[in-house]
Amino acid sequence: MKVLAWAKDEEIRAKGSSGGFVTAAMIAALEKGLVDEVVLVKKKNAYEGVPITTNNVEVVKECIGSMHFVPLNLSYFIKSGVKTALPTKPCDARAIIERAKRNQFNIDDVYMVGLNCGGTFNPVLAREVVLSFFEIEPETVIKEEILKGKLIIESKEGKKSVKIDEIEEEGYGRRNACKICDVNIPHMADLACGNWGVLNEKATFVEVFTDKGKEFFENAVDAGYVEFREAKKEEIEIREKIDKAMIKLAKKWREKLDEINDLDRRERLDYYIRMFEKCIGCNACKEVCPPCVCEEAKCVSMNDEMAGYKIPLYNLVRLLHLMDSCIGCGQCEDVCPVDIPLTLIHKRFSERILRKLDYIPGIDMRTPPFQETKILFD
Amino acid sequence: MGGNMTDIKILAFCCNWCSYAGADGAGLERRQMPATLRIIRVMCSGRIDPIFALMGFLEGADGVMVTGCHIGDCHYIDGNYKTKNRYEFLKELVDELGLEPERLRLEWISATEGSIFAQVVKEMTEQVEKLGKSPLRRGFER
Repeated sequence: MKVLAWAKDEEIRAKGSSGGFVTAAMIAALEKGLVDEVVLVKKKNAYEGVPITTNNVEVVKECIGSMHFVPLNLSYFIKSGVKTALPTKPCDARAIIERAKRNQFNIDDVYMVGLNCGGTFNPVLAREVVLSFFEIEPETVIKEEILKGKLIIESKEGKKSVKIDEIEEEGYGRRNACKICDVNIPHMADLACGNWGVLNEKATFVEVFTDKGKEFFENAVDAGYVEFREAKKEEIEIREKIDKAMIKLAKKWREKLDEINDLDRRERLDYYIRMFEKCIGCNACKEVCPPCVCEEAKCVSMNDEMAGYKIPLYNLVRLLHLMDSCIGCGQCEDVCPVDIPLTLIHKRFSERILRKLDYIPGIDMRTPPFQETKILFD
Repeated sequence: MGGNMTDIKILAFCCNWCSYAGADGAGLERRQMPATLRIIRVMCSGRIDPIFALMGFLEGADGVMVTGCHIGDCHYIDGNYKTKNRYEFLKELVDELGLEPERLRLEWISATEGSIFAQVVKEMTEQVEKLGKSPLRRGFER
């Protein structure tokens, strides 16, 4: 089911980044008792947001609007046994599925309201972008928006827009994980919302994938919070075109960013030794990693900093464990204090074996191959 | 026969029921084997975490062998099915990491196959001698 939907409430519709459908539907779900609570990001300023769980409709209204400068992952905040709805970028949705596979909660309790995502920005670098490309004082930014490949920044002095391609040519722009991400429409979520395919209208393009998604959508319509109309053929085509273009761009970035590809075997080993030599063992990458759910983690308990190994066991264990579970969200790289390009490294390690297995983590509930008890290889 | 470069080390994980008995058989039959071999006995090859092999490399092994019962013969029914899957992960990891894949070997050896065990160790030693010491050894400088 593909429709264009918008919030009936004029205020929500005007404030929302594309018609306010997500906010209105969340409110409807809370009021009608479809869910017990929602997980949202509360805006502090353009660069900072705090994840909150709430069942207060007023708080939901405050959390309206998109936040491209806050690369959070919300999957940790789902409690077991609590019916939850939350907005999910593709990486959030994949994280939720991987965590559900590892028995952190029941997937049937979670309503994944997918958001189409073309990428998020690192908040520190975003400030630099705002200052150097837009010549706006970073702290005066009121609203930010991405539309048709342009980053639009709104401050007191008015609106300004710059093409994202221009920014990225200078080495700034989206996070590396987002640049190489080829899942832009979260087809593993219950429904996918976004402004791709919407032409000069305050509305959200909604695609419903599952029965749960249908339930969520119909609940919002029945409660009178949301109005909708069928999507036109031309709108669907535009959306598909954007998606294809984004996937193509991701492939381009994947080759461009990969500095290991040209190295021979021994140089590659040297590269990895050099990279992991930098590791200070802070365990931050493990703490933020969505699919990593171990309470007493092997990577930490097996590691011995005094052993004098060429590559710390901590990193090797993580490399191994993420071979069949890395969802490419880039949280690890965001928090790494010594800037190891972890997203790409994990991608390189998992790519080939996953292709062999025809398995993609976080797409469906298939058992992770490493835990499989039947032979998967011939 | 290989094994002249005595400082090459091959680490073998042997399962208690098949390949360890196979190694024992090789000795009973007085078969010649290079002295490069170090055996770690595990109850089942399914116990072998790929990390054990990696740790072996870091601790100074130049080659690692994973051995177990033939598929279908596992004492614990399906232990070696898991070994097979995990070994594939290990192989990919070692390959991507920049070690030669020839430093690794998975072999199914039953309790009566002493001759095969000796042969495999010989082959493995020759293979690894060609590659030289592992660059993951402590203090390895190229």
